[in-house]
Amino acid sequence: MTTEEPLLEVRGLTVGFPTVDGLVKAANTVDLEIRPGETLALLGETGSGKTVLGMAILRLLQPNTRIEGEILYRGRNLLSLSEGEMQKIRGREIAVVLQNTGTSLNPVLRVGDQIAEAVTLHRGLRGGDAEAAAVTLLDRVRIFDPARMAREYPHRFSGGMRERALIALALACEPSFLIADEPTRGLDAVTKREILDLFSEINPGRSVLFITHDIEAAATLAVRVAVMYAGEIVEIGPVDAVLSSPVHPYTRGLLASLPERGMRPIPGSSPSLITLPPGCRFSPRCTRAVGRCKKEHPELVEVGPDHDARCMYYD
Amino acid sequence: MRAAYILRRLLYSAAAFGISVTIAFALLHFMPGDYITQYLEQIYVIAPPEIVRAYNRVYGLDRPLIEQYFSYFLGVLQGDWGYSLSYSRPVLAVIGEKLVWTLVIILPATVLAIIVGIVVGAYSGWKRGSKIDLALLNGMIFLRAIPSYWLALMILLIFAYYLGLFPLGGYVGLSALDTGIDPLDVMNHAALPIFTLFLFSVTGTYYLMRNSMLMTAGEDYIVTARAKGLDELTILRKHALRNAMLPMVTSIALECAGMITGSIFVETIFSWPGLGMLTFEALKVRDIPLLQGILLIDTLLVIVANIAADLIYPLVDPRVEVGDGART
Repeated sequence: MTTEEPLLEVRGLTVGFPTVDGLVKAANTVDLEIRPGETLALLGETGSGKTVLGMAILRLLQPNTRIEGEILYRGRNLLSLSEGEMQKIRGREIAVVLQNTGTSLNPVLRVGDQIAEAVTLHRGLRGGDAEAAAVTLLDRVRIFDPARMAREYPHRFSGGMRERALIALALACEPSFLIADEPTRGLDAVTKREILDLFSEINPGRSVLFITHDIEAAATLAVRVAVMYAGEIVEIGPVDAVLSSPVHPYTRGLLASLPERGMRPIPGSSPSLITLPPGCRFSPRCTRAVGRCKKEHPELVEVGPDHDARCMYYD
Repeated sequence: MRAAYILRRLLYSAAAFGISVTIAFALLHFMPGDYITQYLEQIYVIAPPEIVRAYNRVYGLDRPLIEQYFSYFLGVLQGDWGYSLSYSRPVLAVIGEKLVWTLVIILPATVLAIIVGIVVGAYSGWKRGSKIDLALLNGMIFLRAIPSYWLALMILLIFAYYLGLFPLGGYVGLSALDTGIDPLDVMNHAALPIFTLFLFSVTGTYYLMRNSMLMTAGEDYIVTARAKGLDELTILRKHALRNAMLPMVTSIALECAGMITGSIFVETIFSWPGLGMLTFEALKVRDIPLLQGILLIDTLLVIVANIAADLIYPLVDPRVEVGDGART
């Protein structure tokens, strides 16, 4: 482990959504740290708890959500801050690029105004100055003819352009930490490539939590990668180590399911987050599962330098 | 082109009006019984046949149906909406006079109901599930559930009879005989009818707005706004309210038209001399030409309200672009 002080540290984060069918355990005792300047990719399939983790950091989940644990940002626990203090952190210190680009911009406000709003709020620029800043930001994310596009409404933007506009919005106040939730989802290969390039270009020195289910995107951008399964981190480590010599059977399964590596899907499906299997959560789908896997819940253990995994075989 | 769009809307509206005229005509002729006979029964024990014939001739009922239809249609377009049996005056003149008085109570009631319904509904929907939301919601359901005629009577009983704060009915006091119509005196008389109409209307607007706000509050762009670091009030005002109001434009227009119907019993109970009371009286004496005219004016108001909604919508929602040349 490096000795550098992490920018953000998540400790024992447990998130539950009360529903009529029971408590949906979306994240379970997640421990995670993001170091200054690094990009950490959070990999996992839909419903694994990636987005929930990202939203929990900014406290953007529904009010009735049960959250336990600590989220330390520069030493302050975000979960114990007042709403007012949290508002000063959102957008200024920590920004997010939400998934669902199609619906994340307000349809009745001009794109430039939506960006200028954040500029005014956190950088104190008014009127024309804020608008000019918005145009500069749109230019920075490579929007063609930014001055004209700033005056357009979101429905005039293509999917890739909306993604760029949302990135511009997130960058409005030069946050130290950026959470990007599936920024390449639903984009064609060329646009995806451009967005990934944009990400590596805009983020020197910035810490990024890059939430994705796209292994290729993670490999391109991340320094470290964390793999989530059923609300838990099952493997975390340097991107090369995790993607070239994965330890956890789930990570191996994910890699084996890639088209260029044989496209062998993992049999079965993710467990219900209401009634989780008692032992290892992956055991019902795991080809190597033994009796102990079904009974005991494994802990994250070190399997290599800066590389941890949650599997009985390494306990 | 914008002008083309407006022209097309006007054409559709004209067609709709033409259909209503046809329906008004058909209603008159396919209704059981003959209104002339019924009307004359109120005057004569047995109407002399020559009087019946004379009435039929004056009202054109002895001519072929198709001819009657075209002359009625043409008459309506030329402002000849028929002749009221009970008022012995042209229908349009009677309606025009009463419509003014109806507008005196309907306009303030509608404006008030829209403003209060939107503000309270927006707040309630934004604070969904909170104590204040549930209190407001239950209060509105209760208000909606009260039979409106009973509520109107209770308001009259409490505020006018027991408390004596407002007059019992009518639109001016006796002093008007000496001094003429005083606007303050009229407003004093109008207060209770306005309040009652407001109560009927506000619940509908509240429901719609609350529902619309519930949908809007869950939208992704609200999360984006929150992620920017905006405070809740700014998000509600700048981001949620306008979006939540989009579906309201059309329903508000229809609500305005609905107020005309609502005014029937309010005017009857408060003896307000407007279109509603006129409808009630025309129904009582079966003044069919007058009823036809009221039907037409109601349709016309609905059509106008719809045109207004269609024209306002593109102004509030940038995604709606009218016509093919709307792009500038």
